[in-house]
Amino acid sequence: MSTAVEARTIVGSKRWTVGRIARVAVMLAVALLFLVPIVGFIAMAFRSQENVAAGSDGFLGLGGLSWDNAVYSWSQIVGFGPGDGGLFPRWIANSLTVSIIGGVLALVAALPAGYAMALLRFRGRKVWLFATLLAMVMPNTVLVIPLFLEVNAIGAIGQLWPVAVIMGFFPFGVYLSYIHFMTTMPPELVEAARIDGLGEIAIFFQVGLPISKQAVALVAFFSFVANWTNFFLPLALLTSSQDNKTVSIGIQELIGASPLFNATVAAGLDVKLYMPQLALATFISMLPLLIVFIGAQRFLIRGQTVGAVKG
Amino acid sequence: MSTATLDRRATDAPGKPARARRRAPHRVEARGAWILLAPYAALFLVAAAIPIGYAFYISLQKAPTLVNPASGFGGFDSFITTVTDYRFVDTFVNIFTVMAVWLPLMIVGIVGLALLVHASPGRFGGAMRFVYYIPGALGGIANFVLWVYLLNPAQSPIAFLWRGMELDNLKEVVTTSNLPGILTAMLFFQGVGTWIVIVNGGLNGIPDEIFEAAALDGANAWQLAWRVKLPLIRPWIGYAALMNLAYGFQLFLEPYLLRQISAGSVDSEWAPTQLGYAFAFTNRNFPAAAAMSIILLVITLAIGVIIVFRSGLFGDDRERSK
Repeated sequence: MSTAVEARTIVGSKRWTVGRIARVAVMLAVALLFLVPIVGFIAMAFRSQENVAAGSDGFLGLGGLSWDNAVYSWSQIVGFGPGDGGLFPRWIANSLTVSIIGGVLALVAALPAGYAMALLRFRGRKVWLFATLLAMVMPNTVLVIPLFLEVNAIGAIGQLWPVAVIMGFFPFGVYLSYIHFMTTMPPELVEAARIDGLGEIAIFFQVGLPISKQAVALVAFFSFVANWTNFFLPLALLTSSQDNKTVSIGIQELIGASPLFNATVAAGLDVKLYMPQLALATFISMLPLLIVFIGAQRFLIRGQTVGAVKG
Repeated sequence: MSTATLDRRATDAPGKPARARRRAPHRVEARGAWILLAPYAALFLVAAAIPIGYAFYISLQKAPTLVNPASGFGGFDSFITTVTDYRFVDTFVNIFTVMAVWLPLMIVGIVGLALLVHASPGRFGGAMRFVYYIPGALGGIANFVLWVYLLNPAQSPIAFLWRGMELDNLKEVVTTSNLPGILTAMLFFQGVGTWIVIVNGGLNGIPDEIFEAAALDGANAWQLAWRVKLPLIRPWIGYAALMNLAYGFQLFLEPYLLRQISAGSVDSEWAPTQLGYAFAFTNRNFPAAAAMSIILLVITLAIGVIIVFRSGLFGDDRERSK
């Protein structure tokens, strides 16, 4: 008891020593370095291009925020596209479609696979485990060109379903499920269920799955985030079809149509996409991530050590 | 998992003349395992094994030309085309130039900040860890648009920095020679937070008794961090270094989009992935694109194998079930 108290007073001292002041100062300085750009960027979404160009609005532009600016910017974003526009909401819908289908596929594949690798004996178990770890630590863009060649060979470029199916392959989810069953389900439980006369598949559904809420939440969260922010895969598979783009590559198209970077293209458009409009589009595209993050937060905190293995 | 189960697994391999009573349920178990594995196995085939095999097959084909549109077996021609491309060596030099700046900074940042967070128990440390994590949560394209805002001297909050270097517009800031610096900043901003959380998780996994013992021996906070914590989290540091190294080889989004906003002042095929992309979508030379992706695949696979076997984080089942 006294040891713990003593250790704490030395590690996290209450006195404002030089070391403590330096530590807190460094941490706050880095935090500011991270927060200032983000605050300024979100503020940008609620400013007007006139004031941005004039350089008014004060520190980080916080003096020029108004809801009307955002409403105007939104009209420009929605107006983008052939005819009456409307591409941006469509891209959001596409992103939702592929991210959710991909996430559901990842769940359907990862949980039983993780269970089998953790608790069942079969030939090739080690090989599957190794392949999964390897696929997990490899950067996923390495496979994009091969995937493009495959999808091209079956003539499905520009369609959403191959993107969703490919997103369903989520080895990190399998690893998470594997760790989950490894740590929470003793092999004796499987043994007992067998003696009770349950089949192997039934044991998974009736014993394994009901105790896996945590794993379901983590796999769903991580796969949704990975799918939503995926850029290279939709770029290679969906660029050819403007209607079927996801929002990540859609924003790229908005950048390409901005008078800031491409005056020629922008001159031919009815809408004007300056920095406030681009910032607002980006901000809106992040909202679904924010929602799933808040929804998954309590699971994330509990599963921190498990989730911590993947970058 | 107990050692007993492991031993049984080792000795009770299928096909061995085990006792008849044992064998039947074992076969049932294996069949069950394969059924449960089936959806994942199918996705593994479709999204990894088949594309890799197919890309290898394509890379051995001849590139169709206007004169001779027929394809056919071309041996290693496309690999030679790729490797001797005038941009090939440059793209790797570019990547290494960035990594020479970014990796050391990243590792020092990750370890330093994770140790600082760990030395700050309670609300403050938790809040700081969350703040560091926010940019990482933004994800690829959002992080990029944020950086467009930061890089443009016309409205950036750090415009004084650009003006100080006599860079007056975006085109002057975003140039090939400035790319290592810009990418280092972008990748650090985006990546460091996630890794702080990971290494911090590793630090939290160390039993408190070790720190208490060190404190009893008279170690101050600095000695505790340098002499006790740092050696203990070495596997995590190695893991972070290798994962980031592998990540470096697949850089695409940032240089690709920087090119787009730079109005041509950044090279169009700056990174190896961009060169592969150009082979596929500009030249329509699929064999060369496939060859490029096989080369990158071999490099990252090699790094992956080292991570899985050498980092000490993905050890045997026995260690993992602790």
